[in-house]
Amino acid sequence: MMVFRKNRMWGKHPLRDAYDVVIVGAGVHGLSTAYYLGQMGISNVAVLDKGYLGGGASARSTAIIRSNYLTAEAIPFFRESHKLYQGLASELSFNLLFDEMGRLDIGHSESSVYWLRLRAEFNQLLGVDSRIIGPAEIKKLAPQIDLREGKTLPIMAALYHPPAGVVRHDAVVWGLARGADRAGVEIHPFTEVTGITRRNGRVTGVETPAGRVSAGMVVSATAGWTSTVTAMAGLDVPIVTFPLQACVTEPVKPFVHITISSADLHVYVYQTDRGELVIGGPVDPYSTYSQRSTLDMLQELAASTLELLPALRDIKIMRQWAGLCDMTPDYAPIMGQVDGLDGFILNCGWGTWGFKAAPASGRTTAELIATGRTPDLIRPFALSRFDDNALVNERAAAIAAAIH
Amino acid sequence: MPILSEQGRLPNAESHLADRTRPVVFEFNGRQFEAYEGDTIASALYAVGVRTFSRSFKYHRSRGLLCVAGSCPNCMMSVDGAPNVRACVTPVEAGMRVRHQNAWPSQERDFLSFLDRLDRLMPVGFYYKTFHTPKLLWKLARPLIRRVAGLGRVPRDPISGPSRHESRHTDVAVVGGGPAGMSAALSAATAGARVTLVDDQQELGGHIRYDSRIHAGLPGIGTASGFEAARRLARDVEANDRIEALTGATAFGLYEGNLLGITRGDSMIRLRAKRVAVATGSYESPLVFDRNDLPGVMLSTGLQRLIHLHGVKPGTTAMVGTTDDQGYYAALDLLGAGLRIAVITDTRPAFPDHLDAARELRDSGVLTLPSHAIVRAEGMKRVVGGVVARLVDGRTTTEERQFDADIIAMSGGFQPASGLLQQLGGGSRYDEGLDETLPDNLPMGVMAAGGVMGMRGVRDAIIQGRAAGIEAASGHGRAAPGPAGPAQSPGRAVSASPPLEGRLGAKQFVCFCEDVTSRDITNGIDEGFEDVQTLKRYSTVTMGPCQGKMCHKNFVAVAARHTRRGLAELGSTTARPPVQPISLGVLAGPDRVPVKYTPLHRKHLELGAEITDSNTWRRPRLYRDAQREAQAVRNGVGIIDISTLGKLDVRGRDSPALLDKLYTHHFSTLEVGRIRYGLLCADNGTIMDDGTVTRLAEDRYFVTTSTAGVETVEEWFKWWMAGEDTCAHVTNVTSGYAVINVAGPKARDTLKKLTDVDVSPRAFRYMRAKEGEVAGAPSLMLRIGFVGETGWELHFPAEYAERVWDALMDAGEEFGIAPFGTETQRILRLEKMHIIPSQDTDMVSNPLDSGMEWVVKMDKDDFIGRGGLAAAAERPVRSRLVGFVMKNGAVPHDGDAVVDGQTPIGRVTSSRLSPTMGRGFGLCWAPPELAEQGRTIHIRTDGIVSPAEVRAEPFYDPEGKRLRE
Repeated sequence: MMVFRKNRMWGKHPLRDAYDVVIVGAGVHGLSTAYYLGQMGISNVAVLDKGYLGGGASARSTAIIRSNYLTAEAIPFFRESHKLYQGLASELSFNLLFDEMGRLDIGHSESSVYWLRLRAEFNQLLGVDSRIIGPAEIKKLAPQIDLREGKTLPIMAALYHPPAGVVRHDAVVWGLARGADRAGVEIHPFTEVTGITRRNGRVTGVETPAGRVSAGMVVSATAGWTSTVTAMAGLDVPIVTFPLQACVTEPVKPFVHITISSADLHVYVYQTDRGELVIGGPVDPYSTYSQRSTLDMLQELAASTLELLPALRDIKIMRQWAGLCDMTPDYAPIMGQVDGLDGFILNCGWGTWGFKAAPASGRTTAELIATGRTPDLIRPFALSRFDDNALVNERAAAIAAAIH
Repeated sequence: MPILSEQGRLPNAESHLADRTRPVVFEFNGRQFEAYEGDTIASALYAVGVRTFSRSFKYHRSRGLLCVAGSCPNCMMSVDGAPNVRACVTPVEAGMRVRHQNAWPSQERDFLSFLDRLDRLMPVGFYYKTFHTPKLLWKLARPLIRRVAGLGRVPRDPISGPSRHESRHTDVAVVGGGPAGMSAALSAATAGARVTLVDDQQELGGHIRYDSRIHAGLPGIGTASGFEAARRLARDVEANDRIEALTGATAFGLYEGNLLGITRGDSMIRLRAKRVAVATGSYESPLVFDRNDLPGVMLSTGLQRLIHLHGVKPGTTAMVGTTDDQGYYAALDLLGAGLRIAVITDTRPAFPDHLDAARELRDSGVLTLPSHAIVRAEGMKRVVGGVVARLVDGRTTTEERQFDADIIAMSGGFQPASGLLQQLGGGSRYDEGLDETLPDNLPMGVMAAGGVMGMRGVRDAIIQGRAAGIEAASGHGRAAPGPAGPAQSPGRAVSASPPLEGRLGAKQFVCFCEDVTSRDITNGIDEGFEDVQTLKRYSTVTMGPCQGKMCHKNFVAVAARHTRRGLAELGSTTARPPVQPISLGVLAGPDRVPVKYTPLHRKHLELGAEITDSNTWRRPRLYRDAQREAQAVRNGVGIIDISTLGKLDVRGRDSPALLDKLYTHHFSTLEVGRIRYGLLCADNGTIMDDGTVTRLAEDRYFVTTSTAGVETVEEWFKWWMAGEDTCAHVTNVTSGYAVINVAGPKARDTLKKLTDVDVSPRAFRYMRAKEGEVAGAPSLMLRIGFVGETGWELHFPAEYAERVWDALMDAGEEFGIAPFGTETQRILRLEKMHIIPSQDTDMVSNPLDSGMEWVVKMDKDDFIGRGGLAAAAERPVRSRLVGFVMKNGAVPHDGDAVVDGQTPIGRVTSSRLSPTMGRGFGLCWAPPELAEQGRTIHIRTDGIVSPAEVRAEPFYDPEGKRLRE
């Protein structure tokens, strides 16, 4: 008796020499774009990736889904993405293991509480469920937190965001890939884009070791290597790439059922359904493409975690890893068309805020391709904002450490 | 009466770790057990007949000892409350409380073991395909799944105390104390290097500590048993004063720059080595057959450890399954320990005539079946027998035979313990002859020798170890030295891959941590997960507590066979640190959240101040009542401890030019003895920090910064000086000086009692600096007015702090002097609209939008941020920082929104109740059309929207008369 039929998740295809749309990068942003293009009836699409499916930043993300951002520009976009995530598993018929556990952003000082309150106020006005709570309510939600008074970093208040959750990152990759495949989109892992061809101010296709592929539209949807991809199109983007490290513990029985984050301590912790505690932190203090983890960061994460959750002292770290983050100057993505370069669309600059944005980024990018019109949701994220002095300041909502 | 331990023991032997003259009593599941000093928890429990040591992760199957080396998940228990402790490598201690975990009510009878029968409902990745529609289903199912998952339980309070951290340096670090490692250490030391040898066992020797075979021609030793060779090498290591041997120490990570992370007991060592020799040996792989996880099925090396190191008799009758010579060695040891050998199966086609051990076993009447493999273990809770089958072309046939046995020894070849090498970016290549994936392209400065490089013979390991040691000491090159590639030791035969295909319904475990069977892996491949990386993620194989030590080899082999691709083509998954799980407590080290106190902290406590955190500093927020303290400053005099202020001493010929370059203002033109406000911008013209700059001499400035900003500003200075040949020196003197601000209409009268410096309005004018004594303390007196009153910042050496404070309090007594804290200071500065960067501004605020055009001197040639500001000046302003006063009684919070209906259009950055106006007031960002004097804006506070009037001028003393008085 086999209860589950074995169906291939996605097909294998020979690479053709022309598509309507070529998407560079088979991570959550590329696959989401492909999936929504398929839903909109545009299926002559190829997604190319130099490695395995979702093997870049998607494979390394800690996959927290939330929408409690700071600015009037970013909140509606992330709110939309959050909403799409809530329906995505049913839509894809694939369980993404979405656990709406809620999230606490802890404030340890007057100034951090100020930034949290700002977020709460803007969230409420823009339809995102988040509010400031005091130590008594924090204790009810997460009694494991060390709430003792008189600590060096006391726990003064928290931004509580009940609908926040986590998903299984790989499941999102596979679910979207399967959905795109079923709509007729081709997925080509291990097919590196080595060049982008242009003619008369217009991108005409890509080059791969398997040959040249022409395309009506090329989407840059990589994370970690965006500047190298855009450079192939002769485009300079204000992105600096930093590694971001995380680690997991051995599995233990249910201990904490909410994501706990502290910007002052530069750490966040949650427990997966498998029982592992996932611990993440700030981006590394220097820019590099190396994805090797460091002992310093491991020590720092451990110390910060125990500051919040001292009971974890005897729990063991099982694995640490690093991923690459394309950081932008204002901690917001870069999306949409590029002035002076037709046929090229950006879906990049995903820093530490990318995974949660994938459904909205894919859908808006697909809509842009389908209609030729930039959707309002992503208008504030255009590359031109860096020339127009219209930065979107999301710094305080990213856990990322201050970097210059 | 404790349960005695003697029954399962072998006669004493020299190699045993347990001291049978020293019994200790410990507790297991509430009962008292006897053990001996030197026992591990597992050896003591095994000796008294315990066979089930844990319950598996997914199916809650009984699991017994497997590796006896701390690598696998099978013996994880709770020890004194700490979960997931590997019992097989944890020394037993008197009074220790050991409990089983992940089972209820007991390890032997676990309620959740019914899950094992539901395995067909839970194939690999089943959860992705279920519970997704409707949404509610997952909401109901998830908590149940969650409760089942996870192994140990987090204790309510931490068990271990704070750990210690130390940093060490050495010429050569050798990881692994086996024959290769010890030889490497000895030869490196002989070549003149200082050597640190790290080994995770309590005694040096590695795998030859339990090797009873006789080896001939061992360099420097001659003919000896493995055990004797280990003794000899260990003695030489201990006698060598250039070698420091760290035993019982686990090197868990090898990081960039040859940094080794090592744990030893409750301490962590960061060992930085010029070169590292990795001699970490290898892990034996299990065989893949039906029910290969039944208690009693063990790795052959695990059984050898049990016999030779722990002196414990494993059972009475054993079946041995092997793919190479190792199974015969283990079988001889089992025979020697008094067990009967029911059968030896060898996947190779012919009897290994070359092997003394095989012949000896045959001569003793042991049945050996070449071209056979074990296909099934039998028994309910522990092994009672097994079935073997003939192989044809590497596949099992139905020609089967059954044997009775209580032990099944399995040896599926070896997998190099190459984790450390991979962490540092080393490559790997599949060696067909050895059927092993060996390290390749070793990282710079790293050597490797012995088992990790595929060496099996003790002689070869010693030779390669010696060469690696010399290489490491001399520091040339990077290649693995010694015999080129893994030598084929005499007697070593090529292994034959074991059968791997799953029969329907078979439970052939590849991964013991996550209960992944070979069928799970092939199913994953059929679903399209064809490369090892995605297959790993889908099946979760290699992702459990062993991190691939037990399963990686079989995982890749199963995948290769099913996809009909070569192992070389498939490659391997990435090994990540740590090699061995390591506790958060050990990593975190001693309490280390930094905290700084000002030199006046004791005074503040005496005065009953409410202390708050300000960055890493702790300082008074207020003493009694901020409103009253504010009144005292406005009407009389107050003092505040502002020692936290960042202070930089900038000297040198080029310091005027440096400050002109970094600040938006002119400082080369500042006269000596004068002070000017200074604003630092980032390259794009946004505000970074502010403070004051005092010129003390032609080539010397005293710069203050915000409390939080001083490190960033110091770095910023040095960043712009680097490589520029600038003759300037920047010294952070923040903690060297205490600072007290005396402010208020009576500040002058207070101060003049304590100093000879003429503080009269004409002699000591606003924004001037003088040096002199205040209450006997040599002070730099800056006439500045952050709070908007006549006032001085007194900077003096920190050791005078309490004395000056007391003198000021005494001198001001007649004027009703009041100490005030940051809360009061905030109110006072807010009335003056003095901004606090990063509170009132953020990373997109520039001085033009913040009402500070006056600080920006575009007539300068260049300064950091000039380009950004020039561009900003030409673009429309999106938002402006302005003051507001509430029109009703509301007092907004910092962080409230400025709204237009329900749309947020701005934000309140600072807001307080004004003691002078008696209303809520503050600073906010608002759209330019509203940010004009007298306009009305709306602020949402606690959900209620209130009107406020915009103010462009300071609320208090807009002309600044009081400051200058």
